[in-house]
Amino acid sequence: MNYENPELLDRLAAEHVLGTLRGPARRRFERLCTRSPAARVARDRWEDDWLMLSRTLRPVQPSARVWTNVSAQLFGTRAGAPRGSRWRTWQLATAASLIAVALIVGVIYREQPAPLQTLAVLGRDAAHPLWRIERGKQLAALTIRVVGPIEAVPGKSYELWALPRGAAPVSLGLLPAGGQYQRTLSEAQRAALGAADKVAVSIEPPGGSPTGAPTGPVIIVATLPALG
Amino acid sequence: MSGEDGKSPAYGAADEPQRAELEALLARCAARDAAALETLYARVAPILLAVLMRMLKRRDLAEDVLQDVFVKVWQQASQFDPHRGRPLAWLVSMARYRAIDLQRAARPAVAITDMSLALEPQLQVGGPADSAELLGTGGLLLRCLEQIAAPQRHCLVLAYQEGLTHSEIARAVGEPLGTVKSWVRRSLLALRRCLGS
Repeated sequence: MNYENPELLDRLAAEHVLGTLRGPARRRFERLCTRSPAARVARDRWEDDWLMLSRTLRPVQPSARVWTNVSAQLFGTRAGAPRGSRWRTWQLATAASLIAVALIVGVIYREQPAPLQTLAVLGRDAAHPLWRIERGKQLAALTIRVVGPIEAVPGKSYELWALPRGAAPVSLGLLPAGGQYQRTLSEAQRAALGAADKVAVSIEPPGGSPTGAPTGPVIIVATLPALG
Repeated sequence: MSGEDGKSPAYGAADEPQRAELEALLARCAARDAAALETLYARVAPILLAVLMRMLKRRDLAEDVLQDVFVKVWQQASQFDPHRGRPLAWLVSMARYRAIDLQRAARPAVAITDMSLALEPQLQVGGPADSAELLGTGGLLLRCLEQIAAPQRHCLVLAYQEGLTHSEIARAVGEPLGTVKSWVRRSLLALRRCLGS
Protein backbone atom coordinates (compact mmCIF):
# COMPACT_ATOMS: atom_id res chain seq x y z
CA MET A 1 0.00 0.00 0.00
CA ASN A 2 1.14 3.50 -0.69
CA TYR A 3 1.27 5.10 2.72
CA GLU A 4 2.40 8.40 1.21
CA ASN A 5 -1.12 9.02 -0.07
CA PRO A 6 -2.63 11.40 2.52
CA GLU A 7 -6.20 10.29 1.84
CA LEU A 8 -5.36 6.63 2.30
CA LEU A 9 -3.39 7.47 5.43
CA ASP A 10 -6.31 9.40 6.87
CA ARG A 11 -8.71 6.57 6.07
CA LEU A 12 -6.51 4.03 7.80
CA ALA A 13 -6.08 6.35 10.79
CA ALA A 14 -9.84 6.90 10.95
CA GLU A 15 -10.60 3.17 10.95
CA HIS A 16 -7.80 2.47 13.41
CA VAL A 17 -9.19 4.99 15.89
CA LEU A 18 -12.78 3.91 15.24
CA GLY A 19 -11.66 0.34 15.93
CA THR A 20 -12.79 -1.26 12.68
CA LEU A 21 -9.22 -1.73 11.46
CA ARG A 22 -8.39 -5.15 12.88
CA GLY A 23 -5.97 -8.02 12.69
CA PRO A 24 -2.76 -7.70 10.70
CA ALA A 25 -3.92 -4.41 9.14
CA ARG A 26 -4.23 -2.91 12.63
CA ARG A 27 -0.75 -4.10 13.56
CA ARG A 28 0.65 -2.72 10.30
CA PHE A 29 -0.83 0.69 10.97
CA GLU A 30 0.52 0.67 14.53
CA ARG A 31 3.98 -0.10 13.20
CA LEU A 32 3.58 2.62 10.58
CA CYS A 33 2.83 5.10 13.36
CA THR A 34 6.16 4.37 15.01
CA ARG A 35 8.04 5.55 11.92
CA SER A 36 5.69 7.93 10.10
CA PRO A 37 4.98 11.33 11.66
CA ALA A 38 2.20 11.84 9.10
CA ALA A 39 0.46 8.65 10.28
CA ARG A 40 0.77 9.76 13.91
CA VAL A 41 -0.65 13.19 13.12
CA ALA A 42 -3.63 11.62 11.33
CA ARG A 43 -4.23 9.17 14.19
CA ASP A 44 -3.87 11.76 16.96
CA ARG A 45 -6.28 14.05 15.17
CA TRP A 46 -8.99 11.39 14.97
CA GLU A 47 -8.41 10.47 18.60
CA ASP A 48 -9.01 14.09 19.56
CA ASP A 49 -12.02 14.37 17.27
CA TRP A 50 -13.75 11.30 18.72
CA LEU A 51 -13.04 12.07 22.37
CA MET A 52 -16.41 13.71 22.92
CA LEU A 53 -18.25 10.47 22.26
CA SER A 54 -16.41 8.85 25.16
CA ARG A 55 -17.29 11.84 27.29
CA THR A 56 -21.00 11.24 26.81
CA LEU A 57 -20.68 8.18 29.07
CA ARG A 58 -21.33 8.55 32.76
CA PRO A 59 -18.07 8.01 34.69
CA VAL A 60 -17.88 4.83 36.79
CA GLN A 61 -15.89 4.72 40.03
CA PRO A 62 -13.44 1.79 39.95
CA SER A 63 -13.20 -0.70 42.81
CA ALA A 64 -10.48 0.03 45.34
CA ARG A 65 -8.53 -3.04 44.26
CA VAL A 66 -7.61 -1.44 40.92
CA TRP A 67 -5.47 1.31 42.40
CA THR A 68 -4.10 -1.07 45.03
CA ASN A 69 -2.93 -3.36 42.25
CA VAL A 70 -1.51 -0.56 40.11
CA SER A 71 0.40 0.72 43.09
CA ALA A 72 1.59 -2.76 44.01
CA GLN A 73 2.77 -3.50 40.50
CA LEU A 74 4.62 -0.25 40.02
CA PHE A 75 5.84 0.66 43.44
CA GLY A 76 6.69 -2.69 44.85
CA THR A 77 4.28 -3.79 47.55
CA ARG A 78 2.65 -7.14 46.95
CA ALA A 79 -0.75 -6.35 48.43
CA GLY A 80 -2.77 -6.62 45.24
CA ALA A 81 -5.83 -8.79 44.87
CA PRO A 82 -5.56 -11.56 42.30
CA ARG A 83 -6.79 -10.83 38.84
CA GLY A 84 -9.32 -12.88 36.92
CA SER A 85 -8.13 -16.19 35.54
CA ARG A 86 -9.39 -15.26 32.10
CA TRP A 87 -7.11 -12.25 32.18
CA ARG A 88 -4.17 -14.37 33.28
CA THR A 89 -4.78 -16.70 30.36
CA TRP A 90 -4.72 -13.74 28.06
CA GLN A 91 -1.53 -12.40 29.57
CA LEU A 92 0.18 -15.73 29.15
CA ALA A 93 -1.02 -16.01 25.58
CA THR A 94 0.36 -12.58 24.89
CA ALA A 95 3.66 -13.43 26.54
CA ALA A 96 3.89 -16.56 24.43
CA SER A 97 3.35 -14.62 21.24
CA LEU A 98 6.16 -12.16 21.87
CA ILE A 99 8.14 -11.22 18.88
CA ALA A 100 11.58 -12.74 18.96
CA VAL A 101 14.05 -10.10 19.92
CA ALA A 102 17.64 -10.24 18.83
CA LEU A 103 20.04 -11.10 21.58
CA ILE A 104 21.63 -7.99 22.95
CA VAL A 105 24.89 -8.05 24.77
CA GLY A 106 25.26 -6.22 28.03
CA VAL A 107 28.28 -4.15 28.80
CA ILE A 108 29.82 -3.38 32.13
CA TYR A 109 31.59 -0.27 33.16
CA ARG A 110 33.59 -0.10 36.31
CA GLU A 111 33.80 3.32 37.81
CA GLN A 112 35.41 4.82 40.84
CA PRO A 113 33.28 4.67 43.97
CA ALA A 114 31.47 7.95 44.25
CA PRO A 115 28.22 8.80 46.03
CA LEU A 116 26.74 6.21 43.70
CA GLN A 117 28.64 3.40 42.09
CA THR A 118 27.72 2.18 38.65
CA LEU A 119 26.72 -1.44 38.91
CA ALA A 120 26.00 -2.00 35.27
CA VAL A 121 25.28 -0.19 32.07
CA LEU A 122 22.80 -2.17 30.06
CA GLY A 123 22.52 -1.79 26.34
CA ARG A 124 23.01 -3.27 22.94
CA ASP A 125 26.71 -2.49 23.03
CA ALA A 126 29.07 0.05 24.51
CA ALA A 127 28.00 2.68 22.01
CA HIS A 128 24.28 2.24 22.70
CA PRO A 129 23.65 2.25 26.45
CA LEU A 130 19.99 2.15 27.53
CA TRP A 131 19.94 1.94 31.33
CA ARG A 132 22.55 2.77 33.91
CA ILE A 133 22.08 0.89 37.17
CA GLU A 134 23.73 2.51 40.17
CA ARG A 135 23.98 1.49 43.78
CA GLY A 136 24.80 3.19 47.02
CA LYS A 137 27.50 1.89 49.34
CA GLN A 138 25.05 -0.15 51.42
CA LEU A 139 23.28 -1.79 48.47
CA ALA A 140 20.01 -0.65 50.04
CA ALA A 141 18.63 0.81 46.85
CA LEU A 142 19.27 0.93 43.13
CA THR A 143 19.08 4.05 41.04
CA ILE A 144 18.08 3.31 37.49
CA ARG A 145 18.65 5.99 34.88
CA VAL A 146 17.47 5.81 31.32
CA VAL A 147 20.48 6.87 29.28
CA GLY A 148 19.41 5.91 25.77
CA PRO A 149 16.29 5.68 23.61
CA ILE A 150 14.14 2.84 24.95
CA GLU A 151 12.17 1.16 22.21
CA ALA A 152 8.62 0.86 23.48
CA VAL A 153 7.30 -2.65 22.90
CA PRO A 154 3.52 -2.16 22.91
CA GLY A 155 1.95 -3.83 25.90
CA LYS A 156 5.24 -5.06 27.34
CA SER A 157 7.52 -4.15 30.20
CA TYR A 158 11.25 -4.55 30.64
CA GLU A 159 12.07 -6.37 33.87
CA LEU A 160 15.45 -6.51 35.59
CA TRP A 161 16.64 -9.74 37.23
CA ALA A 162 19.47 -10.66 39.54
CA LEU A 163 20.95 -14.03 38.58
CA PRO A 164 22.42 -15.43 41.80
CA ARG A 165 24.93 -18.21 41.28
CA GLY A 166 23.22 -21.58 41.57
CA ALA A 167 19.78 -20.14 42.34
CA ALA A 168 16.68 -18.96 40.51
CA PRO A 169 16.51 -15.41 39.12
CA VAL A 170 15.10 -12.82 41.47
CA SER A 171 13.21 -9.84 40.10
CA LEU A 172 14.67 -6.43 40.79
CA GLY A 173 11.58 -4.76 39.39
CA LEU A 174 10.62 -3.11 36.14
CA LEU A 175 12.92 -0.86 34.17
CA PRO A 176 11.52 2.59 33.42
CA ALA A 177 11.09 3.82 29.86
CA GLY A 178 12.27 7.30 30.71
CA GLY A 179 13.79 9.42 33.42
CA GLN A 180 15.34 8.20 36.61
CA TYR A 181 13.92 5.89 39.20
CA GLN A 182 15.09 4.82 42.60
CA ARG A 183 14.10 1.42 43.94
CA THR A 184 14.58 0.32 47.51
CA LEU A 185 15.71 -3.29 47.63
CA SER A 186 14.03 -5.84 49.83
CA GLU A 187 16.14 -8.16 51.98
CA ALA A 188 15.61 -10.96 49.45
CA GLN A 189 16.59 -8.74 46.55
CA ARG A 190 19.70 -7.55 48.37
CA ALA A 191 20.71 -11.11 49.12
CA ALA A 192 20.10 -12.20 45.55
CA LEU A 193 22.05 -9.31 44.11
CA GLY A 194 24.87 -9.89 46.59
CA ALA A 195 25.12 -13.49 45.40
CA ALA A 196 24.71 -12.64 41.73
CA ASP A 197 27.43 -12.48 39.16
CA LYS A 198 25.05 -11.41 36.41
CA VAL A 199 21.92 -9.37 35.85
CA ALA A 200 19.47 -9.85 33.01
CA VAL A 201 16.64 -7.96 31.34
CA SER A 202 13.60 -9.78 30.00
CA ILE A 203 10.48 -8.60 28.19
CA GLU A 204 7.36 -9.26 30.24
CA PRO A 205 3.65 -8.46 30.25
CA PRO A 206 2.75 -5.02 31.60
CA GLY A 207 3.45 -4.88 35.30
CA GLY A 208 6.08 -7.57 35.11
CA SER A 209 6.29 -11.33 35.04
CA PRO A 210 3.08 -12.93 36.28
CA THR A 211 4.95 -15.95 37.66
CA GLY A 212 7.86 -14.38 39.52
CA ALA A 213 10.29 -15.92 37.04
CA PRO A 214 11.24 -14.57 33.62
CA THR A 215 8.57 -15.57 31.08
CA GLY A 216 9.55 -13.51 28.04
CA PRO A 217 12.71 -13.33 25.94
CA VAL A 218 15.86 -12.33 27.77
CA ILE A 219 17.33 -9.47 25.80
CA ILE A 220 20.31 -8.47 27.92
CA VAL A 221 22.66 -10.43 30.16
CA ALA A 222 25.42 -8.48 31.84
CA THR A 223 28.20 -9.63 34.15
CA LEU A 224 28.53 -7.69 37.38
CA PRO A 225 31.73 -6.50 38.92
CA ALA A 226 32.51 -8.15 42.27
CA LEU A 227 30.21 -6.51 44.76
CA GLY A 228 31.70 -4.95 47.81
CA MET B 1 -20.93 20.85 39.63
CA SER B 2 -22.20 17.37 40.25
CA GLY B 3 -25.09 15.86 42.05
CA GLU B 4 -25.40 17.90 45.28
CA ASP B 5 -29.11 18.19 44.68
CA GLY B 6 -29.52 14.45 44.47
CA LYS B 7 -30.16 14.49 40.74
CA SER B 8 -27.96 12.53 38.43
CA PRO B 9 -24.52 14.07 38.23
CA ALA B 10 -23.64 16.31 35.36
CA TYR B 11 -20.93 14.71 33.29
CA GLY B 12 -20.06 17.12 30.57
CA ALA B 13 -17.40 19.68 29.88
CA ALA B 14 -17.68 21.11 33.38
CA ASP B 15 -16.45 17.83 34.83
CA GLU B 16 -13.75 17.23 32.30
CA PRO B 17 -10.38 17.46 33.98
CA GLN B 18 -8.57 20.52 32.74
CA ARG B 19 -6.21 19.87 29.91
CA ALA B 20 -3.40 21.86 31.53
CA GLU B 21 -3.77 19.91 34.77
CA LEU B 22 -3.61 16.55 33.00
CA GLU B 23 -0.58 17.66 30.98
CA ALA B 24 1.20 18.72 34.15
CA LEU B 25 0.34 15.42 35.84
CA LEU B 26 1.66 13.42 32.89
CA ALA B 27 4.87 15.47 32.92
CA ARG B 28 5.29 14.70 36.61
CA CYS B 29 4.66 11.00 35.94
CA ALA B 30 7.37 11.12 33.29
CA ALA B 31 9.64 12.56 36.01
CA ARG B 32 8.79 9.52 38.17
CA ASP B 33 6.54 11.32 40.63
CA ALA B 34 4.30 8.58 42.01
CA ALA B 35 1.94 11.03 43.69
CA ALA B 36 1.15 12.48 40.26
CA LEU B 37 0.02 9.08 39.02
CA GLU B 38 -2.36 8.75 41.95
CA THR B 39 -3.86 12.17 41.27
CA LEU B 40 -4.14 11.39 37.58
CA TYR B 41 -5.87 8.14 38.47
CA ALA B 42 -8.38 9.95 40.66
CA ARG B 43 -9.14 12.38 37.83
CA VAL B 44 -9.47 10.07 34.86
CA ALA B 45 -9.90 6.45 36.00
CA PRO B 46 -13.73 6.81 36.27
CA ILE B 47 -13.87 8.21 32.74
CA LEU B 48 -11.72 5.40 31.38
CA LEU B 49 -13.66 2.73 33.27
CA ALA B 50 -16.91 3.95 31.72
CA VAL B 51 -15.35 3.61 28.27
CA LEU B 52 -13.96 0.16 29.05
CA MET B 53 -17.17 -1.20 30.55
CA ARG B 54 -19.04 -0.06 27.49
CA MET B 55 -16.66 -1.98 25.26
CA LEU B 56 -16.05 -5.08 27.35
CA LYS B 57 -19.47 -5.44 29.02
CA ARG B 58 -17.90 -6.93 32.12
CA ARG B 59 -16.72 -4.90 35.07
CA ASP B 60 -14.01 -7.36 36.10
CA LEU B 61 -12.44 -7.38 32.64
CA ALA B 62 -12.78 -3.62 32.35
CA GLU B 63 -11.06 -3.11 35.70
CA ASP B 64 -8.24 -5.45 34.72
CA VAL B 65 -7.68 -3.40 31.60
CA LEU B 66 -7.88 -0.18 33.60
CA GLN B 67 -5.17 -1.51 35.90
CA ASP B 68 -3.05 -2.36 32.92
CA VAL B 69 -3.57 1.03 31.35
CA PHE B 70 -2.33 2.86 34.42
CA VAL B 71 0.78 0.72 34.59
CA LYS B 72 1.33 1.64 30.96
CA VAL B 73 0.64 5.32 31.60
CA TRP B 74 3.39 5.31 34.19
CA GLN B 75 5.78 3.60 31.83
CA GLN B 76 4.95 5.70 28.80
CA ALA B 77 4.16 9.10 30.29
CA SER B 78 7.33 10.52 28.77
CA GLN B 79 6.01 9.64 25.32
CA PHE B 80 2.98 11.88 25.63
CA ASP B 81 3.46 14.96 23.47
CA PRO B 82 1.10 17.81 24.36
CA HIS B 83 1.63 19.30 20.91
CA ARG B 84 0.09 16.28 19.27
CA GLY B 85 -3.20 16.04 21.07
CA ARG B 86 -5.22 16.32 24.23
CA PRO B 87 -4.05 14.27 27.21
CA LEU B 88 -7.50 12.83 27.81
CA ALA B 89 -7.69 11.68 24.19
CA TRP B 90 -4.31 9.99 24.62
CA LEU B 91 -5.49 8.24 27.79
CA VAL B 92 -8.88 7.20 26.43
CA SER B 93 -7.24 5.89 23.27
CA MET B 94 -4.76 3.85 25.27
CA ALA B 95 -7.66 2.25 27.12
CA ARG B 96 -9.75 1.66 23.98
CA TYR B 97 -6.88 0.08 22.03
CA ARG B 98 -6.10 -2.20 24.93
CA ALA B 99 -9.74 -3.27 25.07
CA ILE B 100 -9.73 -3.90 21.32
CA ASP B 101 -6.64 -6.08 21.63
CA LEU B 102 -8.25 -7.95 24.49
CA GLN B 103 -11.45 -8.53 22.53
CA ARG B 104 -9.34 -10.21 19.91
CA ALA B 105 -8.18 -12.76 22.46
CA ALA B 106 -11.26 -13.29 24.59
CA ARG B 107 -14.44 -11.81 23.29
CA PRO B 108 -17.17 -12.20 25.87
CA ALA B 109 -20.58 -13.28 24.68
CA VAL B 110 -22.55 -10.12 24.10
CA ALA B 111 -26.21 -9.54 23.49
CA ILE B 112 -25.80 -7.05 20.72
CA THR B 113 -29.47 -6.27 20.37
CA ASP B 114 -29.74 -5.23 24.01
CA MET B 115 -26.94 -2.80 23.88
CA SER B 116 -27.91 -1.07 20.65
CA LEU B 117 -31.12 0.18 22.19
CA ALA B 118 -29.51 2.63 24.55
CA LEU B 119 -27.38 4.33 21.95
CA GLU B 120 -29.44 6.80 20.06
CA PRO B 121 -30.50 9.01 22.98
CA GLN B 122 -26.86 9.79 23.65
CA LEU B 123 -26.66 11.64 20.41
CA GLN B 124 -29.50 13.93 21.31
CA VAL B 125 -27.53 17.03 22.05
CA GLY B 126 -29.10 20.15 23.37
CA GLY B 127 -30.10 22.05 26.46
CA PRO B 128 -28.11 24.46 28.57
CA ALA B 129 -25.86 21.76 30.01
CA ASP B 130 -24.51 21.01 26.57
CA SER B 131 -24.16 24.47 25.17
CA ALA B 132 -20.62 24.97 26.42
CA GLU B 133 -19.51 21.78 24.72
CA LEU B 134 -21.20 22.70 21.51
CA LEU B 135 -18.74 25.53 21.17
CA GLY B 136 -15.73 23.25 21.44
CA THR B 137 -14.47 20.52 19.16
CA GLY B 138 -16.40 17.94 21.17
CA GLY B 139 -19.65 19.61 20.28
CA LEU B 140 -18.52 19.78 16.70
CA LEU B 141 -18.18 16.01 16.61
CA LEU B 142 -21.73 15.50 17.83
CA ARG B 143 -23.09 18.05 15.40
CA CYS B 144 -21.24 16.40 12.54
CA LEU B 145 -22.49 12.97 13.61
CA GLU B 146 -26.02 14.27 13.55
CA GLN B 147 -25.59 15.21 9.91
CA ILE B 148 -24.96 11.59 9.05
CA ALA B 149 -28.05 9.46 8.32
CA ALA B 150 -29.16 7.49 11.38
CA PRO B 151 -28.34 3.94 10.18
CA GLN B 152 -24.83 4.91 9.13
CA ARG B 153 -24.27 6.93 12.29
CA HIS B 154 -25.42 3.97 14.32
CA CYS B 155 -22.66 1.87 12.73
CA LEU B 156 -20.02 4.42 13.70
CA VAL B 157 -21.23 4.54 17.29
CA LEU B 158 -21.35 0.74 17.53
CA ALA B 159 -17.75 0.64 16.35
CA TYR B 160 -16.38 3.44 18.51
CA GLN B 161 -18.31 3.02 21.71
CA GLU B 162 -19.07 -0.70 21.77
CA GLY B 163 -15.88 -1.77 20.04
CA LEU B 164 -17.67 -3.87 17.43
CA THR B 165 -15.96 -5.16 14.29
CA HIS B 166 -17.44 -4.71 10.82
CA SER B 167 -18.94 -8.20 10.96
CA GLU B 168 -20.44 -7.67 14.40
CA ILE B 169 -21.96 -4.39 13.28
CA ALA B 170 -23.41 -6.12 10.22
CA ARG B 171 -25.08 -8.70 12.45
CA ALA B 172 -26.29 -6.04 14.88
CA VAL B 173 -27.93 -3.87 12.23
CA GLY B 174 -28.98 -6.68 9.90
CA GLU B 175 -27.17 -5.39 6.83
CA PRO B 176 -24.68 -7.19 4.57
CA LEU B 177 -21.02 -6.88 5.57
CA GLY B 178 -20.13 -5.07 2.35
CA THR B 179 -22.82 -2.48 2.95
CA VAL B 180 -21.61 -1.83 6.48
CA LYS B 181 -18.01 -1.50 5.34
CA SER B 182 -18.88 1.06 2.70
CA TRP B 183 -21.22 2.93 5.09
CA VAL B 184 -18.40 3.22 7.60
CA ARG B 185 -15.90 4.32 4.99
CA ARG B 186 -18.21 6.93 3.48
CA SER B 187 -19.41 8.19 6.87
CA LEU B 188 -15.84 8.71 7.99
CA LEU B 189 -15.15 10.73 4.85
CA ALA B 190 -18.23 12.84 5.50
CA LEU B 191 -17.17 13.26 9.11
CA ARG B 192 -13.70 14.42 8.10
CA ARG B 193 -15.22 16.97 5.69
CA CYS B 194 -17.54 18.24 8.42
CA LEU B 195 -14.84 18.36 11.10
CA GLY B 196 -12.53 20.19 8.72
CA SER B 197 -9.33 18.83 7.22
